[in-house]
Amino acid sequence: MKKLDFLNFNNEQWRYWVIYALLALIFSFYTYRLFVIQIVDGEIYQAQAEENRTSFQSLPTQRGNIYDRNGTILARNVPSYNVVITPAELPEDTGSVQEIYRQLSKVIKIPVSRGTINDDTVKNFTPCLNNLGITEIVYIQNSLAPFKPVRVACDIDEVTAKIIREKSSDWPGVDVEIEPVRDYPTGDLTAEVIGFLGPIPASQEQEYRDRGFLPGRDKVGFAGVELSMNNELEGSPGRRVVEVDVSGKVIRDLEPPVPAVPGKNIYLTIDTRLQAAAREALVSELNYWNNRLGKIISLQGVVIVMNPKTGEILAMVNYPSYENNRLARFIPAYYYNQLYNDPYKPLLNHAISGEYPPGSVFKLPTAIGVLNERVVTPDYVVEDPGEITVTERFYENDPGRPRRYVCHKAEGHGQVNFLKGIQESCNVYFMKVGGGFGTEVPGNGLGIWRIDEYAKALGYGSATGIELPGEAEGLIPDPTWKRLNIGENWSTGDTYISVQGQGFVLATPLQMAVATATIANDGVMMKPTLIKEIRDSDGQVVFKNSPVQVRDITKDKVINIFDENNIPTGEKKSVEPWTIELTQQGMRLVVTQGTASVQFNGFPIPAAGKTGTAEYCDDIARQNNLCDFGKWPAHAWFAGYAPFDDPEIVVVAFVYNGKEGSTFAAPIVRRTMEAYFCLKNIDAGEECGF
Amino acid sequence: MRRTELWRHFDFWLLGAVVILSVFGVVMIRSVIAGNIDLAGYDRRQAIFAAIGLAVILITTLIDYHLWSTLAQPMYIVVVALLVVIFLTGQARFGAARWLSFGIIDIQPAELAKIAMIMVLADYFARNIHSEKNLRWILRSFAMTAAVVVWILLQPNLSTSIVIMVMWASMLWISGLPPKYLIIFLLLAIVAAGALFPFLEQYQQERVINFIFPNPNARHGDNYNVEQARITIGDGGLLGQGYGSGSQVQLRFLKVRHTDFIFAAMAEEFGFVGTVVIVGLLVFVIIRCLRAARLAADPYGSLIAYGVAILIFFQTSVNIGVNLNIIPVTGLTLPFISYGGSSLVTLYFAVGLVESVAARRKTTEDITGA
Repeated sequence: MKKLDFLNFNNEQWRYWVIYALLALIFSFYTYRLFVIQIVDGEIYQAQAEENRTSFQSLPTQRGNIYDRNGTILARNVPSYNVVITPAELPEDTGSVQEIYRQLSKVIKIPVSRGTINDDTVKNFTPCLNNLGITEIVYIQNSLAPFKPVRVACDIDEVTAKIIREKSSDWPGVDVEIEPVRDYPTGDLTAEVIGFLGPIPASQEQEYRDRGFLPGRDKVGFAGVELSMNNELEGSPGRRVVEVDVSGKVIRDLEPPVPAVPGKNIYLTIDTRLQAAAREALVSELNYWNNRLGKIISLQGVVIVMNPKTGEILAMVNYPSYENNRLARFIPAYYYNQLYNDPYKPLLNHAISGEYPPGSVFKLPTAIGVLNERVVTPDYVVEDPGEITVTERFYENDPGRPRRYVCHKAEGHGQVNFLKGIQESCNVYFMKVGGGFGTEVPGNGLGIWRIDEYAKALGYGSATGIELPGEAEGLIPDPTWKRLNIGENWSTGDTYISVQGQGFVLATPLQMAVATATIANDGVMMKPTLIKEIRDSDGQVVFKNSPVQVRDITKDKVINIFDENNIPTGEKKSVEPWTIELTQQGMRLVVTQGTASVQFNGFPIPAAGKTGTAEYCDDIARQNNLCDFGKWPAHAWFAGYAPFDDPEIVVVAFVYNGKEGSTFAAPIVRRTMEAYFCLKNIDAGEECGF
Repeated sequence: MRRTELWRHFDFWLLGAVVILSVFGVVMIRSVIAGNIDLAGYDRRQAIFAAIGLAVILITTLIDYHLWSTLAQPMYIVVVALLVVIFLTGQARFGAARWLSFGIIDIQPAELAKIAMIMVLADYFARNIHSEKNLRWILRSFAMTAAVVVWILLQPNLSTSIVIMVMWASMLWISGLPPKYLIIFLLLAIVAAGALFPFLEQYQQERVINFIFPNPNARHGDNYNVEQARITIGDGGLLGQGYGSGSQVQLRFLKVRHTDFIFAAMAEEFGFVGTVVIVGLLVFVIIRCLRAARLAADPYGSLIAYGVAILIFFQTSVNIGVNLNIIPVTGLTLPFISYGGSSLVTLYFAVGLVESVAARRKTTEDITGA
């Protein structure tokens, strides 16, 4: 019986076969899947495994230094010490952690606990810039990235750093991080030229990452030479390809590491001593007038010193400036906003980015043009009664209406020839020869088209190409420009205004320096430059800047020839050297007998120059209701060079709202020239002499 | 039965395969724990457990399996009692508790329950071999099973619960479950799965949801382990990266690699060829157990061997299925290879039962002669 049951039991063999079939089915399918994953798709997963274990590490490089022409450091890297805590490395029991916090708190003067943790504090959490206690900072970091160190105290002094370093074996999780921070020993003296650094912009993040730079660690130039020379300064980060385990711990190098290449060092043409002297001249002049007149006349100015023969910029002073050291670690929002909202725009390098009416300095291109185009001879005498009236015509048969133009000297300069015109900066002379006046100067005089030709030949109206970011082009208006932008025809009066460097005409202080240098250098225009040489980190000169001649207006045919209808004929001519020579003589007379003779009285080096007083109307003036006729404020300019016979420097001084070029700007130029020749004597081992 | 006869039918092939698998398991554990301080010494412990297990096999073989039949009732009571105790202590500790600590050894009662249920259910179905295969027959066995499973489910330990339920279902099957009930049960199971889903623990729900709807953004999230397991397997290629040289294993990208994902570790270091050999050995073990079941002297012995075969079959296929990302993560280990003392000794005991059955089988002549 029992045997029969047993047979019964095992007789349903098909039920076993179902199990066998299941077994075969499942394991065949698994073998198939295994085959697909390991053999068919094996390479994909092998690549992923490779990616898992391979990590590319960027080794930080060192940004190059910036020096002045004498090797004075203008920008360098200094170590800064931060206390960091890695939450995951702290001891496990809270008691020990609290003990570490308590001891650390005493050293770094940050309370163990301060502030509260809520959505806002977590969202706005910025290391180095918060009011939280150690516990709160570590709590936030622990929730974000427990294996990454967080900065608890920043920029601690070296002694404290050493104390914490020594304690770090007792305080697991606590360490001192050394961060290179940009340091600008000359600070606001050179801020506009040197600029500052900032974080890698999000828009360029990928590009920088591809080259090995890391946002958060590496910084890029945001302004000045730091920006324009960024490619030379930044160096190139090293690269390691390493095998890492799942926690990111480095096991070994997979490839020989590529060491970081430090950035190159830039030597500028700036002479810091001269820069300081020029700034002192500017600031003391501003203070003098503000104090003397008992009110704020001006708080802004620019001084440029340039070698006319090489184009080297020896000084480029902006005032007011900003303290770029305050932007070195990070850019504090309140300070940046304060600078940004300042009406004088201290973040802007006004020497190259500020566009102002150039005033009477702009008479010089007209002067050269008048002689070169033979509008009048140098001896031709024009009457300046102090005031002239012309009929303002906007088109050929416009009956017009009379308009009054005045000389800055109410009774007029009387009989004026070419040299006296420059010497006294006679408005009427230049209005008449520039725009024509009845029978005295027939026709339209030189005319706006040809005035523009000579202005452009001297460098106005286009960027000079100096190695700085944000250079402005200025504006040399012509009738076409006016029709397009103002919607009005050009009138005789527009020419009269333009000749005086007012109205629509705009120039940067650097353009004026280049134009003056071109005249001083007998018509040869040199490209202005800030870079003297570039050296690699070993001190080897890798680039030596040599002077670049832009043009020689006495040889290069740069002046378009117009027909009687002011249509360019397509032919060009150059400037005859004698016209420049006479202009130089006029400029010499300015400082010996003319508008700046008082300011240059007793100056031992023969100098030459031209004053400029440019009426303007801008946002600041409009706020003060100064934009009405007769009340317009004026900028003060002076562009000079010395020595007269063999010019070594061109100095341009600009004083915003400076009223009068001779009184405000000329003394700055004189003092800057004194400083230059004093330094020259000292460098030659002699007495200063000034 | 005489001694010589006992060893004549002893399945040396089965024992051999199990020993090879265990040795391989120790070797594999040695590789995956390299450099991990927390897991240091696990290879040695596993080897000791394997040695104990070998003794367990021999001892169990010597014991006539019919002894277990008489112990079925007390064993059942003890298992339920242990599970209740662990449930209550777990409640007291506000968390899942699966272990009972007896000084030096920790016992996982759920592991014990697997084996106990094989024997209890085998006993039940063998006794009722002549009963009508009706609903009463089914429900009585279900009640017996459910009384154990409910405590395991409450631990909560879903995977072991499923193992025991599968065992029960497979016993029903082999004992002659009429196909109409099979269809009804399948439908019921589907409905029940849907209805019970909301009662699962949250992490269990998430595992299932994650499997059905993988979140493509979850790099380090819940898909991380299976994703890394797949990369690890794929990295093995045809012949593997070599013992101790799999980067995914050695650099610890593969998680829980000494238990749940040891299959993936093996696949990386020994490749397709090595893995197929090991899987083949496991299949061979299952086939030998089924063979013992088919040749058993009586229904009770047959059902025990069959139950062990199903246990190994189910655990193996689920574990490999998880590794290959075919089914959701369950936490079932790979028999004989994954680290785990309780599980290993339990499995050895199970193999011992099969050997006991095989050794006391009817000879081929007995069957064909009748």
